[in-house]
Order: sequence, then C-alpha cells, then structure tokens
Amino acid sequence: MKKLLAGLALCQGLTLTSLATAADLAIGGLLPMSGSNAEYGQIFSSGANLAVEHINASKMLSGKLSIVYEDSQALPMQGVIGMNKLVNVAKVPFVLSAFTGVSKAIAPIGTRSKTVMVNGGGVGPDLAELGDYFWNTIPLANFEVRAMVPYLVKQRGLKRIALVYVDDPLGQAVVKELQAELGKVGGELAGSFSVPATTQQFSGVAARVRDVKPDAVYIASYGSQQGQIVKQLRDNGVSQQIASYSAFAIPSTLALPEAKGALFTSQKVDWEKSDEVTRRMLDDYKKQYGKAPNMYVLNYYNAVRTFGVLAAALEKAGKPVTGENLLAQRKATPTFDFVGATVSFADDGTIKAPIQINQIGEGGAKPIADAAP
Amino acid sequence: MLFIQLFVNGIQTGALYALIAAGFSLIFGTTRVFHVAHGATFTLAGFVFYELYTVLGWAWPLAALAAGAAAALFGMLVDRYVYAAIQRHEAAFFTVFVASFGLAIVVQNLITIGFGRGLVTVPTPLSKSVELLPGLYVAPMAAVAVLCAVLAFGALQWLLTRTNLGLALRALGENPALVHVYGLTPRRLSQYVFLIGSLLAVPAAILTAATSGLNPAMGHHVMLISIAATIVGGVGSLRGAAVAGLLLGMAENLSLAWIDPQWSEAVTFVVLFLFILFRPGGVFGRAVAS
Amino acid sequence: MLAYLQNIAVLFCVNAMLAVTLNFIMGYAGIFSLAHAIFFGVGAYTAANIAMHFSDSLFLCVAGAMLVSAVLSMALALPALRVRGEYFVAASLGLQVIGVTVFSEWKGVTGGLGGLVGIPPPTVFGHALTTPGEFLALALAGLAAVLLATTALLRGSFGRSLMAIRDSESAAQAAGKWVAAIKTLSVAVSAGLAAVAGAIYAFYMSFVNVEGFMLETSILLMAMVIIGGTGTVFGPIIGAALLMLLPAALTYLPFLPPAELGTVQQIVYGAVMVLLMMYRPGGLVGGRRKKGQA
Repeated sequence: MKKLLAGLALCQGLTLTSLATAADLAIGGLLPMSGSNAEYGQIFSSGANLAVEHINASKMLSGKLSIVYEDSQALPMQGVIGMNKLVNVAKVPFVLSAFTGVSKAIAPIGTRSKTVMVNGGGVGPDLAELGDYFWNTIPLANFEVRAMVPYLVKQRGLKRIALVYVDDPLGQAVVKELQAELGKVGGELAGSFSVPATTQQFSGVAARVRDVKPDAVYIASYGSQQGQIVKQLRDNGVSQQIASYSAFAIPSTLALPEAKGALFTSQKVDWEKSDEVTRRMLDDYKKQYGKAPNMYVLNYYNAVRTFGVLAAALEKAGKPVTGENLLAQRKATPTFDFVGATVSFADDGTIKAPIQINQIGEGGAKPIADAAP
Repeated sequence: MLFIQLFVNGIQTGALYALIAAGFSLIFGTTRVFHVAHGATFTLAGFVFYELYTVLGWAWPLAALAAGAAAALFGMLVDRYVYAAIQRHEAAFFTVFVASFGLAIVVQNLITIGFGRGLVTVPTPLSKSVELLPGLYVAPMAAVAVLCAVLAFGALQWLLTRTNLGLALRALGENPALVHVYGLTPRRLSQYVFLIGSLLAVPAAILTAATSGLNPAMGHHVMLISIAATIVGGVGSLRGAAVAGLLLGMAENLSLAWIDPQWSEAVTFVVLFLFILFRPGGVFGRAVAS
Repeated sequence: MLAYLQNIAVLFCVNAMLAVTLNFIMGYAGIFSLAHAIFFGVGAYTAANIAMHFSDSLFLCVAGAMLVSAVLSMALALPALRVRGEYFVAASLGLQVIGVTVFSEWKGVTGGLGGLVGIPPPTVFGHALTTPGEFLALALAGLAAVLLATTALLRGSFGRSLMAIRDSESAAQAAGKWVAAIKTLSVAVSAGLAAVAGAIYAFYMSFVNVEGFMLETSILLMAMVIIGGTGTVFGPIIGAALLMLLPAALTYLPFLPPAELGTVQQIVYGAVMVLLMMYRPGGLVGGRRKKGQA
C-alpha cells in the first residue's frame, strides 16, 4: 500500500513539473472569496482573470501566466496566512491585495520578502504609506473628494453637505477633505454622522440628516452597508442629492432602485478610447458577462496588465521576474497604458489619474462630467 | 420633533426586533437549545422570498408561503438530524451551540453560492415614508411591522394558552422530565417547536428585506438581537421577548437624540449587560438564583 | 514552505494559548465566556502602545498587557458572580460587543478602525526579535508558560476549589470556600494570560486592528475548547490545532473552482464542526463519555 501511494505521489510530482515549464509565471490573488465582503472578491477576480486570459492569448510573456488565489475573508489574520502561503509556498513575486485592513497586515511581509503587492479597491490615504512594494492602481480618496466638491457646489449649486461615514481612516480622510475643499469653494459641511461598520438600521441617522437641512448627502461607506444607507435615507424622507466615492461602483449598489441619480467619482475611463487595450477589454468583458465592467474590474485588470508589461520587459532584458526587479522596472517605466487612460506611478506607488463624475441611472453608471483639473 | 421621529422609528425597529426574537425565544425557552442557526433560517426565508417575489415575480402570499415552508423544513430537519443526534449522548449545552454555529456557516455559504454575494432588497412602496407632520416621516411599513408583531404574538399566545399542543410546549419548557410522565414525547414536541419557531422568522425576514435589505452574512446580526431580546425579556417568556425587542429598538433609536450614531450599537448591549447584572430574570422571567 | 509552516505554527501557538486560557474558566470554573477575544485585544493594544511609546522591552510590554487585562477582567467577573449558564453567556456577549465598539472608537489608544501600524519588534536583553524562527520560539515559550501556569494552578488547591464551584456552587460555599474571590481570581488569571497571547500576536503581525478581536473570534475560541474537550489539558490545544490547520489544509484541495474557493472551504469547515459535535460531543479528547472528573 505504502509503495503504491509513494508511486502515485511521484507520478503526480512528475506530471506537474512536466506541465509547468520553467518560463511559466504565477501571481497571487489575496482577495475576500467568502464572508460578508465576498462580492468584492468576485468582482476583483473577474477583472484579473480576464487580464490573464488576454496576456496569455497575445503571448505577452514567454510562458503561461496564472493566478493563485487565497481567501483573505477581508480579515487581517487570514490575509497574513494567505500571504505567507503565496510568498513561501507558491513563491509568487506579485500579489493582488484588497481591503485596507488586510493590506496593512500583509505589507510588512511583502516588504520583508520583496514581493510586490497591488491594491485596486481601497482608497484610504493610509494605503500610500505601506512601503515601496505596495502599489495602488486606484487614485486614493483625497483626489476623489477634491473632484466631487467643486462639482457639487459650482455645477449643481449644492452648498450644504451632510456626511454619513464609517469612522475608519478613509472616513476620517473624507471628513478632512470635505471640510478643506468646501471651505475653498464657499460651501459648508452641515453635519457629519459617523456610523459603526456593522450597523444596519439608519432611520435614526436619516432623521438627524434631515434635521440639518442639507443640499446634498455624501456617503462614505462600502459593501452592503452603503446600499442600506442609501435605501433607508431615501425611505425616510431624505430626497436630496446623494454623492459618494468609487465604492458605489458595485453591482448591488448600481442596481438599487433608490440609488438612481446618485453621483460618485471614479478615475476617468475614456470608454471611447480606440486603442487596442481598451477595446479588447471592454468587448471581451461584455461578451463574457453581458454588461460593461465597473471601475473595480478595470483596476484589477490594469494591475495584472501592469505585471504583464513589467514582466515582459524584464524577460526581454534577460532579468528574472522577482519583486525587486519588478519594482525597479516600474520606476524605470514612465507611463502605462491602462484601459481607457494612460497613467504614471508616483514614487510612493500611487497613481495620479484624472477623475470623472458618474451618475447612476438605468443600466448602471454613466460618466457625466470630468473633474476640473 | 426629532424626539418624536426617533420615537416612531423606535417603534418600527422595535416591532421588527420583537418579531426577529420571537422564534428564537420560543425555541430556546422551550427546548433550551441555543439555536444559533436561527439566523440562517431567517436568511434562508428572506432569500427564498426575494427570489420568488422580486426575481421570479410570484404573488407575495405565495412567495411568503414558500419561504415559510423552506424555513420550517430547515428548522425541523436541523432539529431532527443534528440536535437529536447530539442530545442522545447527553451532551452539554455548548456542544449544540458549536454544532449550530457550524450549521450557520454552512448555510450562509450555500446561500452565497446560490443567491449571490451582494445586498438585495425587495422594493415595495410600503417602505417609503410619508411626511405626516413637518419633520415627522412615517412609512406604512411601520404599521405593517406593528400589525405583524401583534398578530404573531397574539397567535402564539393563543396557541400556548388555549391549545393542548401549547400546553405541552409550556410543560416542555418548564419541566421536560414530567412531560414523559404524561405520555408525550419531548422529541415530537421539539419538532413542533422548531416548526413554529422557524415559521416565526419569516415575517421578520420579509419585513427586513423590504426595509433594510438582505445579504447572506446577516445571520450574525439577527442572532445578536434575538439573544439580547430573549435574555432581557426573560427566558421562557414570549411577552418578555416582545417587550424586550420593543425596548431594545426604542433604546437604539432614542439614544440618537443624545449620543453619536457610532455608539448606538453598543447601547443595545449596555442595556443587556445592565439587565443581566441587576435583573437577570429579565422583564418577565422568573427570578434566577445565582 | 518552511516559512509558511512557521507562520501557521506561530498563529497556532497564539490561538492555543487563547484556547487554554478560555478552557481554564470554561472547563474548570464553568464560566462560559464569549468575550475572550476582548482580553486578547486588550493585551495586544496594551503591548503595542507600550512598545510604540515607552519601551520595546518584551518583559515590560507583556507585564503591562497582563496587568491591564487582569484589571479590566473585573467587568467580566461582575456578571460571573451574579449569574450562571446562558445568562452569563449573554452578559459576556454584551461585553464583547461593547468592547468592540470601544476598540473601534478609542482612536488615541487603538487607532480606531484603522488600527495600529508599525509596531516595533520586541527586545529581549537588548536583542530585537525579528525573524520567523525567533517569533516561533517566542510563541512556543508563551504557550509553554501559559500551560505551566494553568496546570500548576489547577493541580493545587485553587484548582480543586474551582472545580468544586463548577460542580456545585452552594456546596462549595457551605464548605467555607470564598466563592466570589476564587471566581474573580480565575477570570483575572484567564484574562491576564490571554493578554500574553495578545502581546505576542501584536509583535508578530506588527499591525493590530479591531477586526482580529470581534465576536467571530470569540465564538471560534469557544468552538476550539468545546471541540477539543473542555476540562482537559490537551483538549484546547487539539481544538486549536484542528480549527487552525483545517482551513489551511482546505486551501490545498485541488479541484475547487476559483470563484467558489472561499465558500466551499467554509462549507467544509462548518460541516466538520457539525459532524464533530454529533459524533464526539464530549470533544476530541473528552470522548463520548460525559466528563465527570477532570
């Protein structure tokens, strides 16, 4: 019996090594695949998977690219275990990350092991401070608020803003930015109401929001909770304009009847851009999923594409594809062709990208204006 | 006016909490099983209703019946195959707790696979509030919730006091050993309890779907409310669960008049904690010797 | 691979310490607490704060963490003196939720929802602990210390008094035991030792936030104790091993569709819990017979 098992193991080992040639590359995907934030994991991975398909189809790399997924459940401890597995067992040089808590927990591991980590979902300002190996393909919240405020005040004449927010670094950044930006354009922060991240009842908050008589309400939450806030605000007599940041771009919020007409910022995507990258991504995604991709899908597509571009350059130069080399290569590359935009990375791993204002309507969100530069 | 608005909100939330707690309170009070999977029953009922009514367009009474059937079936099967097996071995209270918890995880993830991961809501004009007085917004849903709560508790009260089954259930809650003496089987009675208790989750689930939406991970929150309301109301007392649910809903909303919303969740549990310290029997329960 | 196993091992030791200390009050004092994650958190935050603001000496940080946690455990001892059984569980539940709210809001000390980043490595006699191997040694040492402390207490008269109280409080009182003091002391010991686990966790992750100390964690710890077998020495350790290694092992399942990776793993995990409770209700170490003696 033992000999049989040993024999089988040997065979399995042999087949695995014969299938994977030395040039095949793997990257890691540390996303919430289960639990209360699983919706995000599903969205993020759809973008990443499509990018892998395209990279393999156009033979950008000498071998085949694949993603090894680990479930972070959006919790720091699970994220650390998953990251350790990716770094030490799968030995990937590049990991897709999501959720600020997880990102902060894995940053020391990535830095120590010189593994690149890329975030395409979170926008809290603390994501800019996680070291050289932590990159972001999504512009962080400060830019988003700075874009929304002038639009609300100057273009729509909505001067008094009420804020409903979750009191995490992102929410705190939104408060600070709103106060600063509103002051500059003659608006005012009529009231700010912080809610616990796990609350589901907002009728009381709606009453207090109504009380301050705002012209518009800015929401800084995420996931299921942001949908609950929108619905209950509307159900409880808050009919003012609703505004938010890129987190609104998830299907459950876009499909919410009460969210119609809400505004949210996101990085600018020129859907009409006729370059090959943009067209192929949009067409293939629509073919596979029957609808246009949202910002989050694009961010993770772009993240994997960045890897593809950097790794291809490294292979051409004859250098091994390690985290250290990827970082150096990124610093040496002035611009990247993302879907619908061309961006460049700042030294701290963040991207500065133009922002656009979107409005939720029938069939999802449509961009309606560009942010003032 | 803010105060009156919060008061009215408190009544709607309170009625909802009372309905949510009713099923768990009945099950726990009668069988002493810490049925943590009741949250899963709730989630299941909500998603079945959503799928049939909102997605497939069935008429709501039919969808509600189907949801009720699903919930009752789930509750009864769990009792028959899992809890019965454990109780045969004279296991401790917490063994059932852990098993129930494991079940809740399984069901939550099955629902995720089957129904998707994001927030879903059951759109209905009933949840939109109307401005009754300047500054006072009330939705028809508040009236529906209160009506449902009154009907549910009324029906339950009638069942427990006027029928033989109800008598047997009360006996089971107070003294399981004596039930044997009278020729009844706790096992069969337990099945009835889970049937009724699980059915009670359905109106609460439907109302929640219409007011704040459903997501597969909501079972936890449901359980927290149920446990808090059951203990504050007094284990074994349905009236207590109703009053406690109302009390907790009111406390959560009225506290917003004085404190920031970020502490509102803690308010419910401070109330719970204080009750246990100073009146562990709850509002209507029996005195508990420490 | 080695580094990965070391990582799992360190986290296993931390969880085992928590399970052992929880078992101390659950299995021996009959105090079933759902608030254990709070004391884990208190230890972590205290150690982190001491290291970040005063001194990164390991002994100082751990001692500080233990002290603060033991003092705060009075909040749990209070209901323990008044009620038993499901009422106490509910009170501990209340404490757990309140604790999480405090962790989330007290930004000065806990960093709020954002947590504390950049916790410096602890120093022992001037040498900073930074490598995975060193942390594994620290974690094992911590586990050994906790085991020694708890078994020493349980073997002595304190342990006997504790079990007497668990089995019949009124009889213990009649026999002259100062029940209130013993219960309070046991809760303090449990919380203090749990804080040691918290300190080690904070140093190892160099980042802590409230997400590690929520109700889910408390329930998981209770599951570890029950699945392992309450009132036994090795029960909680086996329980911790199972509930930590199982999810890690499940990530090796070959034929999982990537989209349903997490959910299927969770389903298997939950199913194992249910089956274990159905077929070994006394716990893996306790076995099928109802535990009478410790």
